[in-house]
Amino acid sequence: MTEVLNYVWLGVLAVFQGPGLFTVLGVSIPAAPLMVVGGLLTGIAVGATPGLAGPMAMAISLPILISVFGFTPDAILPVFGFLLGIMKGATVGGAVPAILFNMPGTPDALMTTLDGYPMARKGQPRRALRIAQLSSVTGDTFSDLVLFVCAPFLAVFVEAYLDLPEKTALLILSISFIAAVMGASVGRGLLSVGLGLVAAFVGTGQALTPRLTGGVGGLADGFPLVSAILGVLILGEIFKGIEDLIAKGPKHRAEEAPEDVEGGDDLQPGDIGRIAPHVARGAVIGTIIGALPGVGSTLAATLSYTFGNRRHEKRRKPTQAAFGKGAPEGIASTEAANSAVSGANLIPVLSLGIPGNAAAVFLILAADSIGGFNPGPAVFNFTAPEVNPELVTAFGIFTLMAIGNLLNWTIGGWFMRSMGVLARVPGQILLPVVLLLTLTAIYVQETSLFALWVTFGFGVLGYLFRRSDVPVLPFVIAFILARPLEQTAREAFAATGGDPWFLFGSATSILFMAAAVGSVVVLSRK
Amino acid sequence: MSRDKANLGLGLVAIGLALVAVLAWVPNDTATGVIVAKRGRVSIGDAMAPMAAFGLVALAGLLILFEKTRTEGAARLSAANVRFLLLLTGVFLLTMVLMRWSGPAVTGFGQLAGLTEHGYRDLRDTVPWKYIGFVIGGTTLVASLMSLVERRVTWRAILVGLLAVAALIAVFDLPFPDLLLPPNGDT
Repeated sequence: MTEVLNYVWLGVLAVFQGPGLFTVLGVSIPAAPLMVVGGLLTGIAVGATPGLAGPMAMAISLPILISVFGFTPDAILPVFGFLLGIMKGATVGGAVPAILFNMPGTPDALMTTLDGYPMARKGQPRRALRIAQLSSVTGDTFSDLVLFVCAPFLAVFVEAYLDLPEKTALLILSISFIAAVMGASVGRGLLSVGLGLVAAFVGTGQALTPRLTGGVGGLADGFPLVSAILGVLILGEIFKGIEDLIAKGPKHRAEEAPEDVEGGDDLQPGDIGRIAPHVARGAVIGTIIGALPGVGSTLAATLSYTFGNRRHEKRRKPTQAAFGKGAPEGIASTEAANSAVSGANLIPVLSLGIPGNAAAVFLILAADSIGGFNPGPAVFNFTAPEVNPELVTAFGIFTLMAIGNLLNWTIGGWFMRSMGVLARVPGQILLPVVLLLTLTAIYVQETSLFALWVTFGFGVLGYLFRRSDVPVLPFVIAFILARPLEQTAREAFAATGGDPWFLFGSATSILFMAAAVGSVVVLSRK
Repeated sequence: MSRDKANLGLGLVAIGLALVAVLAWVPNDTATGVIVAKRGRVSIGDAMAPMAAFGLVALAGLLILFEKTRTEGAARLSAANVRFLLLLTGVFLLTMVLMRWSGPAVTGFGQLAGLTEHGYRDLRDTVPWKYIGFVIGGTTLVASLMSLVERRVTWRAILVGLLAVAALIAVFDLPFPDLLLPPNGDT
């Protein structure tokens, strides 16, 4: 135990006695904590900007950070500080456009739109943002604590019990469940999933010739992820919004003002008590889901939202809004869960070297580029009396995450809420400007006008989905999960020697597959 | 169109798409089949995943034909929706054309007027030339859509477009010299 505490202390010292950024009155100001502040504010701003996402900001800032701090082991903590700050900030900031514009700033905040936007439309955007921030930071803090305590043990446990067939079955379960739960009917949910899978399979595959491209050279690498997701989610919504505004006509613009505020636009007495059980449940679900490599925050948010909805419907008073109609509990369920995923995602990264999400990929890339820290089992080797420098770095990273959480609790909330003013911008100004912002953000990433046409095409698809009552979320989730699903299935098939029944080779995978079919059958009968 | 007819249309479109894909598109546009046997090793081919996905689309189409939706009110595509989409496509096409070609066009006039000796390709990293396409195209997009909603063209709409473009230049271009605004990655 003394050894562990000693390493914890060395990690804290590494952060606060590390290389200085500048000096004030002769005192050196350590770089790492300041980089967390910078990364956090950047992350909130990026997360709050539709079309920008944490991983993109991490991708852009990594070469800049390395050019500033160099390739020495001393650079690890300042660089990680900024990247972790972005990761944490974007998770919180993503709720801002989700609540204000019905557009998730980051994929993490997809389900926050369901209740956040209706609350904003009722004239309570600040209250919705406050609830999102409290839930998000609580979930994130909880999952970080689990990460600090359980990292090596939980990751080893997951790896021991989920082999490739089980991971494949789990992905199928995720997709089936989402198709069954979302939208006006199971058929429409499955249609959305099917089309999302088809779109993801265009231009990919293992053969030298790309598949399903129809001979279009620009599709050889498939549809750009950012174009497809932002097209369906953001452009589709913008197009529908613009048409609705046109249909209302200029004479009806005055009706765009928010409805009467019920009880003021800030936290109401009893709000904390109302959301507490949902935050707790979401934090636990998000942490468990986040520890599974490759299974992302969307599943955690969906599960948490579904369980939260069930509890809410049982106990809801007539005066309280239902889920999907502006319930604070709905925001709390999703935000706590998707934020808890981000911390737990680092469990397999730090202990096994396996990235669980896009943000984690950039952390591994940073460690690999700088050198001196190789995430993997060797990191958690408690040597004595020799000091394991990688373990010191690991505890330094934990310290940086704790600093990030403290900042998120304080200035993060203020910074996030200060963006509530955006809700007052008229729709006929906001929607075209957000459209241009989204297209510009996609262009700077893809640097191709073809990508903008692809985005527009997916935008039209998203618009058609909305006009036909087909849910867009299953499309996006299927698009994201399609390639990992196919890859895992290929590997599982090969690993079992070409066994066509590989999905039914263990009790766990049979359970997952039964649940996948069961969710579709049961929910289609409702 | 009633709810049943809307479901019938959507379901038949889904089934039709799946049949065409499974019978014609996927077999002719994938290099390997559903299962690949090579040197005694059996593996999943490139056609497996698309076949399964289109199978799901067909199943979804069948379900839509026979099921009832959880929400009330017919959700269907109207003639007005199609007209809006055509209008929107026109605005987007105009934006893309202006974004792509106004920079080279203005630079060409600049060469004729003796303002510069270089073509746009040489000037795409030089202020103010590199902003021409983005400013004209971006402003057109914002101002056109605002004008559609307000049913008249106003100076306010153009000003909002210009301000939005300026803000995006400040966010993406000024701090990050490596990032390229449209259309400078294509030229």
